[in-house]
Amino acid sequence: MTGESTMVSIYIMGKQYEVPDGVTIMKAMEFAGYRFIRGCGCRGGFCGACGTVYRTPGNFRLKVGLACATMVEAGMHLAQIPFYPANRAAYDLQALAPTLGTLRQHYPEMTRCLGCNQCTRICPQGLPVMDYIAAAQCGDLEKTAHQSFDCIMCGLCASRCPAEIVQYNVGILARRLFGRHIAPPARHLAQRVQDIEAGKFDDELERLMRMGREELQKRYYARDIE
Amino acid sequence: MSIPYFPGCTLHVKAKALDDSTRAALAVLGLELSGLPEWTCCGTVFPLARNNYIGMVASARILANAAKQGDGRLVTVCSFCYHVLKRVNHAVRNSDEARTKLNDYLEEDYDGQLRVLHPLELLRDEVGFGALRNRVGAGLKGTRVACYYGCMLSRPAAEMDFGDPEDPAVMEKFVAALGGEPADFSWKTKCCGSYQVLNEQGLVAGRVKDIFQAAAAGGAQVIITSCPLCQYNLEAHSEADNHSRIPVLYFAQLLGIALEIPINKLGLAGRYADPEALLQGARR
Amino acid sequence: MYTPEMLGLVKTVEQSRERRLKETFPRLTAEEKTNILRSYHPDYMEGSMRPVMVGPNAGDSMPHAHADLLESRSLADVDGLPLDKVDYDVDVLVIGGGGAGTAAALLAAEEGAGVLLATKLRHGDANTMMAEGGIQAADKENDSPAIHYLDAMGGGGFTNIPELVRALVADAPRCIQWLESLGCMFSKDPDGTMNSNHGGGTSRKRMHFAHDYTGAEIMRTLRDEARNRGIRVVEFSPAVELLTDELGQCAGAVLYNLETGQYLIVRAKTAVIATGGSGRLHINDSPTTNHYGATADGLVIAYRAGARLVFLDATQFHPTGVAFPEQIVGQLVTEKVRGLGAQLVNIDGEQFIYPLETRDAVSSAIIRECRERRKGIGVPSGYGVWLDSPMIETIHGKGTIEKELPAMFRQYIRFGINMAELPIIVYPTLHYQNGGILINDKAESGVPNLYVAGEASGGVHGRNRLMGNSLLDIIVFGRRAGKNAAEKAKSVRLGSLTLEHTKRFNEELRQLGLGRRVAPILLPDYRGKISG
Ligand SMILES: Cc1cc2nc3c(=O)[nH]c(=O)nc-3n(C[C@H](O)[C@H](O)[C@H](O)COP(=O)(O)OP(=O)(O)OC[C@H]3O[C@@H](n4cnc5c(N)ncnc54)[C@H](O)[C@@H]3O)c2cc1C
Ligand code: SF4
Ligand code: SF4
Ligand code: FES
Repeated sequence: MTGESTMVSIYIMGKQYEVPDGVTIMKAMEFAGYRFIRGCGCRGGFCGACGTVYRTPGNFRLKVGLACATMVEAGMHLAQIPFYPANRAAYDLQALAPTLGTLRQHYPEMTRCLGCNQCTRICPQGLPVMDYIAAAQCGDLEKTAHQSFDCIMCGLCASRCPAEIVQYNVGILARRLFGRHIAPPARHLAQRVQDIEAGKFDDELERLMRMGREELQKRYYARDIE
Repeated sequence: MSIPYFPGCTLHVKAKALDDSTRAALAVLGLELSGLPEWTCCGTVFPLARNNYIGMVASARILANAAKQGDGRLVTVCSFCYHVLKRVNHAVRNSDEARTKLNDYLEEDYDGQLRVLHPLELLRDEVGFGALRNRVGAGLKGTRVACYYGCMLSRPAAEMDFGDPEDPAVMEKFVAALGGEPADFSWKTKCCGSYQVLNEQGLVAGRVKDIFQAAAAGGAQVIITSCPLCQYNLEAHSEADNHSRIPVLYFAQLLGIALEIPINKLGLAGRYADPEALLQGARR
Repeated sequence: MYTPEMLGLVKTVEQSRERRLKETFPRLTAEEKTNILRSYHPDYMEGSMRPVMVGPNAGDSMPHAHADLLESRSLADVDGLPLDKVDYDVDVLVIGGGGAGTAAALLAAEEGAGVLLATKLRHGDANTMMAEGGIQAADKENDSPAIHYLDAMGGGGFTNIPELVRALVADAPRCIQWLESLGCMFSKDPDGTMNSNHGGGTSRKRMHFAHDYTGAEIMRTLRDEARNRGIRVVEFSPAVELLTDELGQCAGAVLYNLETGQYLIVRAKTAVIATGGSGRLHINDSPTTNHYGATADGLVIAYRAGARLVFLDATQFHPTGVAFPEQIVGQLVTEKVRGLGAQLVNIDGEQFIYPLETRDAVSSAIIRECRERRKGIGVPSGYGVWLDSPMIETIHGKGTIEKELPAMFRQYIRFGINMAELPIIVYPTLHYQNGGILINDKAESGVPNLYVAGEASGGVHGRNRLMGNSLLDIIVFGRRAGKNAAEKAKSVRLGSLTLEHTKRFNEELRQLGLGRRVAPILLPDYRGKISG
């Protein structure tokens, strides 16, 4: 992997371009002359805007990657899937119970999972998507929440699901139910909020705000560190 | 001894009592069930169309993964799971086409050699009903028990291999081993209405009524089943229509009682019908 | 994958690890810190800045990239644009769908306002989504808002605006609790106690996190909630100009539909600018950690309407950007890696800076180590230093990296480097816009009815922001902006919509012979090149 790069041919939606070897699909597409509007968000593997499907010569398999985090391969045929329609339920989180019933009520199609595993195969984050849907089907919200935690909601799993499930929306519902209703609230946090609202720190903050730079600086460099 | 175990979706929440009581009772008898690491729903229905392989994929994967545990057996207790897994396993073992298609899709190499076992079979073959009899107290002595197999356990006979499809006997032998008396029960393999409960409450209510009447006619003090849906249908409708106060327990709960396992470990909270009388008899 | 030469150099790091595990590198004194910043921080690099010629900050020094933008004419044809057909008529217009904007929209809606959120890319395609390390709040027994205040002030070189810092630290616990109540999955102990770590410049462990997807977890939760509340969002429609009325009050904005090329007119009683930072301006040709839309649009349009900017001459370089592999150069290696105990090490296997100094100081030290002392490791894009990540596994146990830093781990393993076993190579990267549009503690800018929150604002962090105070800032001031903008909207009477302020600005530019470029630029242009 060095600076001077050889060129390879790639096919963007069937059209051939010569791009430097060893760069990401995203950078290669820009090199080829694309200026993204869709299909590019964070450029760092966090937003799920750049889901890309591709095939390489002599291989029947459909491959997948985030354009911002996947290297080009010679001869690859690629297309981005920047958007895929999804079914999403609206809900009032505060009023829900963290149960299987809640999941099913909002996403009844969840139980249609056939176990085909296409979702897990395609997930560019390498998540066990089928397993987190399986856990949801059993009402194991905690497992769904943890197994789906690294989901960047790229939508690729939903694009492949024969049961028409939108896995990532099931995932976020489970995570929010878990975060709100199952994980215990932080007591120290509630206590501190109460203290602040009671004005417990007001005087000290006032004093600091009025303090000259020198005095502040002295205190800063003398502060003890945990 | 630890045996690979497939709990199934329903046992995680709705029928947790079946999972708890099965694990607890078998553990007392020295059989440790170890849940498969990752698993999905079995599909709950065996596809009616012979070549609907997509409907068998989930079960085939479960079986292939279970085979990798190297034990040669897979235990499952829910009647639906047992039914589907056993039939898919049968298909993989006996149909070249099913085996090839499923393995190709899954990228596995599974030959169907796993033995899919119901805990009743384990009790019969691993523990032995004779040994079981020596192990339990006299708490259930004389208790009349209706053995409700429902429609999933014994049919189709060629694939399920669970005894006579219309008149299986393993549950009765099990009851006898616990010291109870199997009641005469003509409805023991009739369907309770199953998933029709979602669309046709009336149909299920009618069937449930017949089932209770048949059990009562045989003098049953308790009905046992291994099916979460039968259990649900029976109890839900017995309460609604007030047919009967005959409690409906999982067979494993009855086993637990006979083994004097504390009832909180058996999920016996007496939600619909009250098994308390029975328990008192058992505890004497 | 590392080259064989690099793997050879790794040996030196491994051999010194046992010794270093017991060693604490001394912290900088006040004087040493001043010196190292003066000599090595990019802000002080000769020729990197110039005074801007027009507008409220005329005469103030700032990076060329920012000055270029502020001296550019409108992107839209402001003379020809009809303003009589209003496409959206709302109480509160929120510009920017990152964390600050979404928090503002939620609070404004809660106050009963009719809200429109306009954003450039998709809702959530934002720097917020990328934040890994954590969010600060003084909510533990041994900590207090006052200690947090002192840390933030010291981090900012005592230049921060006191009323803003006070708002930041005093609202912090409330904000974390709000996120918790929305179901944000913070990393917690089984009893609910928040896990918390150190960050650079903190004197207490007050960095809350959700593994290393902290920003993503906050962003997707807020976005999900906005969807639940039915807040109207227009995507791919950046604001390209603010609208004012005859009184010079902000009265809405002109949006540009990137997909159809049409302009949309939004009349709004109040507006919130939450357009985030400016990493994609590539100041000093530096690579950046920022998302694709970080192009300072909000500063440009607010400036034309008369808003003052502060601290634009202070740019935050994150000390640990990826220096290798080449494909992801400039992307972030979260500070949490150092928070968990990884040390910075030169080619000889020696430490050269206390790893959790403030970012400006650590960046300067790395630059010194490579440039002056020539103890960097050569990489295709220049040089870098080791960040000894395997130490984390030694200190906290095997598997910690995969568990606590899944995003980082994934980022490297995609390119064949297992950071749990091998140290990684880092170099400072353009990360954060410390300054921005001047606000007060109500999140008001100097322009009537115009509020600003988040990275687009300036003053909260002074000249240098601490890790974890930005995610905090966007929630604290996003909420304040939303609430106050909704409150204000109730009493606002607007005149007719105009673009007079822009026309005047364009005219001023023309007279000065400036304005050959257009702005906002909306998106960087990487066509035909390999971007940094
Ligand atoms: C890689 C990375 C890691 C970070 N880690 C941390 C951390 O650990 N802790 C911490 O506290 N901070 C961290 N930060 C900083 C912090 O994430 C950001 O400063 C903060 O999230 C900014 O939030 P924001 O809402 O102000 O802006 P953003 O989240 O960037 O949102 C701005 C939004 O406005 C949109 N927009 C831009 N121009 C226009 C326009 N003209 N019209 C309409 N919309 C527009 C953008 O596309 C974007 O959606 C990190 C930043 C980065 C880049
Ligand atoms: S689970 Fe689905 S939406 Fe989430 S990252 Fe994987 S493929 Fe994308
Ligand atoms: S793609 Fe759909 S049907 Fe297939 S395993 Fe995933 S969720 Fe189930
Ligand atoms: S651009 Fe955000 S994940 Fe690739």
